[in-house]
Amino acid sequence: MVQRFDFNRVRQFVKRDLILLRGTFSTGIFVAIILVFLFCLFNMMWDKQLGLEEFYGIFALVYLPLGLLFTFSLFREFGNPKTNALYLALPVSSLERLVAKWLVSTLVYTIVFSVVALLIAILALIFGIVLFGADFNVPTLFSTSYINIVAIYLFVQPVFMVGAMSFSKNKIGKTLLSLGIALLCFLLLNFLLYAMFNHSLGVFAEDGLGSVAFGKASTQFSIFGQWFYGLIFGPLMLVVAYFKMVEKEV
Amino acid sequence: MLTANNLYFNYPTSRPVLKAINLELKPGNIYGLFGKNGEGKSTLIKIMTGLLFPKAGNCTFKGKPTQKRGPELLQDIFLIPEEFELPSVSIKAFEYINSVFYPSFSKEQFYGLLEEFQLQPRQLISTLSFGQKKKVLIAFGIATNTQLLLMDEPTNGLDIPSKSQFRKVMASSVDEGKCIVVSTHQVRDLHSLINHVMILNNAQVIFDHSLDQVTQALWFGRASNQEEVIYSEGAFGGKSLLQRTDQDESEVDLELLFNGVLHETQKINQLIDKKGHGSKV
Repeated sequence: MVQRFDFNRVRQFVKRDLILLRGTFSTGIFVAIILVFLFCLFNMMWDKQLGLEEFYGIFALVYLPLGLLFTFSLFREFGNPKTNALYLALPVSSLERLVAKWLVSTLVYTIVFSVVALLIAILALIFGIVLFGADFNVPTLFSTSYINIVAIYLFVQPVFMVGAMSFSKNKIGKTLLSLGIALLCFLLLNFLLYAMFNHSLGVFAEDGLGSVAFGKASTQFSIFGQWFYGLIFGPLMLVVAYFKMVEKEV
Repeated sequence: MLTANNLYFNYPTSRPVLKAINLELKPGNIYGLFGKNGEGKSTLIKIMTGLLFPKAGNCTFKGKPTQKRGPELLQDIFLIPEEFELPSVSIKAFEYINSVFYPSFSKEQFYGLLEEFQLQPRQLISTLSFGQKKKVLIAFGIATNTQLLLMDEPTNGLDIPSKSQFRKVMASSVDEGKCIVVSTHQVRDLHSLINHVMILNNAQVIFDHSLDQVTQALWFGRASNQEEVIYSEGAFGGKSLLQRTDQDESEVDLELLFNGVLHETQKINQLIDKKGHGSKV
């Protein structure tokens, strides 16, 4: 049975999520405001300036963990046995549900967080100028550093989305544990591949080369590797999340 | 409208909960789905909604499998689960965020039913008792005007006045295009509400007849001749279940019928089938 994808249902579902989670969302943003403000202010205490890279560091430090926590709270209704029957019985297709969740946890969250972080950084900068005589250096979001941070979030977030849908208890801990185990496996895979392809060069013939191989394996970022891991941690996890949604029983 | 064909279901590492279930639900009826605790009533209701997937066989609604959970299908099915949690928003906000998904939703009907249940739209759902929350969900479910309304133990958590209020509301809500399934183990709560009885026992449907068929074939009352009695509950004033011969039509005692079917399944089914009216409503 082919189901028609309806953007209007997605829009209504996004609205529904935002209304249901407005408490969580506003608390999260409030926490973000305080953290970004304090980090920016403390940063200016030492060198009397808030450099762009420093701002992006603070941005990433708050944006990434809060976004992942927000992802978990978005799937609370899906995972709770007392709410998921009503949730899954709503006339919305699995793809529409997933697109709505993804839009809220990435697009809406990123836009809101970026604007808030920028405004708070400017506010902190004004405080810094008044309190410490800091340099006036307006932070901006139009840079590759910002795009890189958002890209990392976009690739990591689906993993946590799958974690939020897969585990019923201790979701965050179990997701981190699974991620850690997966990373170890990939490290080992990289090491084996490195050993296989470089065996003829006798890399293990001398002392210490094994650890060199491990070192190289952990920082293997060939074009093939980037695509391989990019696909695993991004789009593939979204596909997994889709099938988790389709196959969910209450 | 909804058909179950040779349906099997079991939870992981457990005995079969449903075995070879064959059902056909038709519009214009209120079905009472009875069974003892743990007999699979909730499981069957969840399969009908597409929330559980059968291990074998299939369950279709308007010819399409329910487990696909297509929006076109779910727009015409509403489930009131036995256990649920509603979000911490006002009743009005709950209606606002959920009603948009149901094309036939009637706001007028919803707020009318809330008034009937003595609830205010601005009340926060988190401040309501479980029974009041159930009333919100019942009102919402009726107002969705879906063709199939499934209710799993709807009277659990309702006080005595609310139970009669529920019956009144339900009776006024059914029309020819709708089909309502009410699952319960509290048989008396559905008195004068349903027109079709289905009984689950040992993971199978052991009884599936309309009340018309029941009244044609069976008679409920005090027996003058004990030999005619099919089933009797002596401890409860001696009310008995008998084959109807030349007596006037009697009011169906659902509890007696339920207990009678559990004890004399084959005999009662044979009597009803033999009566020859055969056409199941």
